[in-house]
Amino acid sequence: MLAPRLPGTACDPPGGSGLAWGGPARRPECSPRRILLRIVAAGGIAGTGAATFAAPQNFAIDPAPTHVHWALKHFGTSTSRGRFDTINGAITLDREARTGSASFTIATASISTGFAPFDGLLRGPYLLATTEYPSAYFVSQRFTFDGDKLASVTGDLTLRGVSQRLTLRALRFACRTDTEPAREVCGGDFETEFDRSAFGITHSLPFVADKVRVLIQIEAVRL
Amino acid sequence: MTMTMTKTLLACLIAAGAVTAHAESATYAIDPSHTFVTFEANHMGTSTLRGRFDKKEGSVTLDKAGKSGKAEITIDATSVDTGVAALDTHLKSKDFFNAAEFGTAKFTADKFAFNGDKVSEVAGTLTLLGKTQPVTLKASNFNCYLNPMLKREVCGGDFETTITRTQYGMSYGLAYGLPDNIRLLIQIEAVKQ
Repeated sequence: MLAPRLPGTACDPPGGSGLAWGGPARRPECSPRRILLRIVAAGGIAGTGAATFAAPQNFAIDPAPTHVHWALKHFGTSTSRGRFDTINGAITLDREARTGSASFTIATASISTGFAPFDGLLRGPYLLATTEYPSAYFVSQRFTFDGDKLASVTGDLTLRGVSQRLTLRALRFACRTDTEPAREVCGGDFETEFDRSAFGITHSLPFVADKVRVLIQIEAVRL
Repeated sequence: MTMTMTKTLLACLIAAGAVTAHAESATYAIDPSHTFVTFEANHMGTSTLRGRFDKKEGSVTLDKAGKSGKAEITIDATSVDTGVAALDTHLKSKDFFNAAEFGTAKFTADKFAFNGDKVSEVAGTLTLLGKTQPVTLKASNFNCYLNPMLKREVCGGDFETTITRTQYGMSYGLAYGLPDNIRLLIQIEAVKQ
């Protein structure tokens, strides 16, 4: 079982400042390809042994159209929304064997609600404690397909140092071929929900709901 | 003496109660920390792009007994925020919101529909890029509560609608598959004044 951290944690965004993989300060050992090589070396790709001659394809997250949005009820009245802006990671997808794996790092300090004092509170010790826990992680080795269509991705979310099993349901998933630049891009929308108290985040309960709905927009470029 | 005072007080309270029961309307100022317009657009047939406007102001008048209301909310077009600076810059350009020329978008409504004592629909107009079109927001949730920190009544909820951006003259990217229909998700909470 892969530990719920990216192999090569030295590549975590320092202090949660959220350097994108494509950013200017990227270190060579932190390139998506190197990360993937480490995942492979760690035996992290589902079915690597059994399907040596299948066609696993490697993808790196495109940070611009990739966001994790969350929503939760405020005083049973309106839905507060926010997002995490800095997500890095890699995916392997074998569309023939219908397997895949994914490993994402989310910079917790990149939380953004559009209201700065609220962001400060969320980063603070009572909620995300971003100084102590600068990254959240999602690691999956279980992709399920419905026919040719990706249906869900099951893995472990580590938030505030607590890991819980989650299934992300694919609302839509498609691959396209861009011409400028020429590349294949796969991505879609995924959703899940969890109780924040399961990760030890209990501030403002019950006025602010325990149930967090998560909407993930993700696009990844084939390497 | 004491008895008289008590009676006077009671009379005052009853009178006040009577006034409250027949109150025409109350004004609520929107709480900017719990009021956001989020838009959703499909990106290149693949994933859903979301953005929001961070700056807005406005007020709502609500007459729960008379089942009517008015709303006026101004949105700062320059405060568009997708989490991607380059995209925000493009959205503020003439291709989309043309924020230099049209700094604000405005929603004005004076037709409030109720389901029981809860607001179910708010109909009015949206002015965007200088063009005004009718818009109806449907409530998926509406509630009023006493906020323990503010010690005031707060009313609000979740509303949504879909607008057709070409009706406002925003047609950039249609040929590349950027959608014409844009879904708006609106969170609103407003504090009784």
